[in-house]
Amino acid sequence: MAVGVEIPENARIIRNLLMGAQFQHDHIVHFYHLHALDWVDIVSAITKADPAKTAALADNVSNAQVGGAAYYKQVQQRLKTFVDSGQLGPFSNAYWGHSAYQLPPEANLMATAHYLEALKLQARAARMHAIFGAKNPHLQTLAIGGVTCVRDLKPDRIAEFLYLWKETQAFIRDVYIPDLLAVASFYKEWGSIGGTTNFMAWGEFPESDQEPDSLFMPRGVMMKRDLAGVKMADQEKVTEYVTRSWYEDGGAKHPYEGETKPVQEDPKYNPDKGKYTWFKAPRYTDEPCEVGPLARVLVAYGYGHKEVKAVVDSVLKQLGIPAAALFSTLGRTAARGIETLVIGERMETWINALIANVKKGDTATYQAWKMPDKGMGFGLNDVPRGSLGHWIKIEGGKIKQYQYVVPSTWNLGPRDDKGKPGPLEEALIGTPVADPKQPLEILRTVHSFDPCVACGVHVIDPDSNEVYKVRAV
Amino acid sequence: MGERITIDPITRIEGHMRVEVEVAGGKVVNAWSSAQMFRGIELILQGRDPRDAPLFVQRSCGV
Repeated sequence: MAVGVEIPENARIIRNLLMGAQFQHDHIVHFYHLHALDWVDIVSAITKADPAKTAALADNVSNAQVGGAAYYKQVQQRLKTFVDSGQLGPFSNAYWGHSAYQLPPEANLMATAHYLEALKLQARAARMHAIFGAKNPHLQTLAIGGVTCVRDLKPDRIAEFLYLWKETQAFIRDVYIPDLLAVASFYKEWGSIGGTTNFMAWGEFPESDQEPDSLFMPRGVMMKRDLAGVKMADQEKVTEYVTRSWYEDGGAKHPYEGETKPVQEDPKYNPDKGKYTWFKAPRYTDEPCEVGPLARVLVAYGYGHKEVKAVVDSVLKQLGIPAAALFSTLGRTAARGIETLVIGERMETWINALIANVKKGDTATYQAWKMPDKGMGFGLNDVPRGSLGHWIKIEGGKIKQYQYVVPSTWNLGPRDDKGKPGPLEEALIGTPVADPKQPLEILRTVHSFDPCVACGVHVIDPDSNEVYKVRAV
Repeated sequence: MGERITIDPITRIEGHMRVEVEVAGGKVVNAWSSAQMFRGIELILQGRDPRDAPLFVQRSCGV
């Protein structure tokens, strides 16, 4: 935008396909490998579940391609052998046997088996990125002006993508969504725990060069849980506070004017009165906003989005819960599955549009442009974890100013100048804690946001190779 | 004042995160979320060719 270029249609479609594949892959991994163990007790699956009864349960609720008593017996045996070897691997560091685990043993075994199936599936889903993005993560083919995967607009490459998409989407439809509903049906009280107040989505998946009008997942903001009052969101209304963050004080600033001035002394962790985090505190019209799957689904639902509304209503009906229960940890985790299904289904139309273009000889993927001496611009997207905005100022053909506000900063950011907590901080209030030494319930709400704090830069001394850790305790 | 619980690091996420809560009467009454690493890519980008930006900034979030 800062350089004033319109990308070709194929580039737009390929970017949508890459982002769609990212949603499919990322949300499957989050549900099974980062979040499920907050709800699923592996020890119960291994020691208490009856494989035949598990098979009967799975036949009833799931359309998984694998199943049967022999399969579940084999999974259970594999896990037993693994645990008996003394190496818990991915199942270490958890609160097995905690009183807040409520699934029957057979549901635990079914979900654990699908955890292992999802591990295999995600490795295949990631190959969609290899086709048009060269690798996963950190795609190599995105360029200002289009995409560079010129040689991959061929029938065999597109067909390979299509088959991987089909396999992934079948898993989402037949395994992920049924598992989500089965697990959620035992945790309905989490429909009133872990909610926040305001929601914002920049939107994603432009289906023409008209943005934001053509975004398949729409742009909007919803304040005070008012589903009927969703409004268009405007980047001019974004500011960031640093009062409680380890930066030099400087008041609320729009990202065009934003500064990155880390405190020069050792950062002191002072949650009660002072600074306590490297995250800034983003605000929209001076209010904290949750971003991510729940925000996107609520904004779309509020607008009456056909596909999103149909799936949301069906999920609410199957669980027997009201729309108000969406404002919760349960709603956040359900919304992630809902949008995976809806976006995944939509990808087929993008693949078909790409095939149609290639058939008629349109293989354009890049529009040339000229670097301006001076300019400014912003880019707004919605990535799996939420709203992502980048703001740039160019002078003398170089970057003069760059700021970006990422999903986890919105969700996990600290208090602002007025002491108003960030969304996660708000969501945690009221969470029951049965045993302070085993705070499983807190992890449920924290994980429901799918935190990504990997944006830390590890500072390495080139002479000693020593990694300096910023100690905050 | 209730009991303070600190979870640091939080596992099964991307990155280094700390959460502190205050619990009273079996429920959380106050919470603090803390990112434990500095990003700083904005500073690295200053003075560079704008075409470098997409490849630099995606390192802060591969997903």
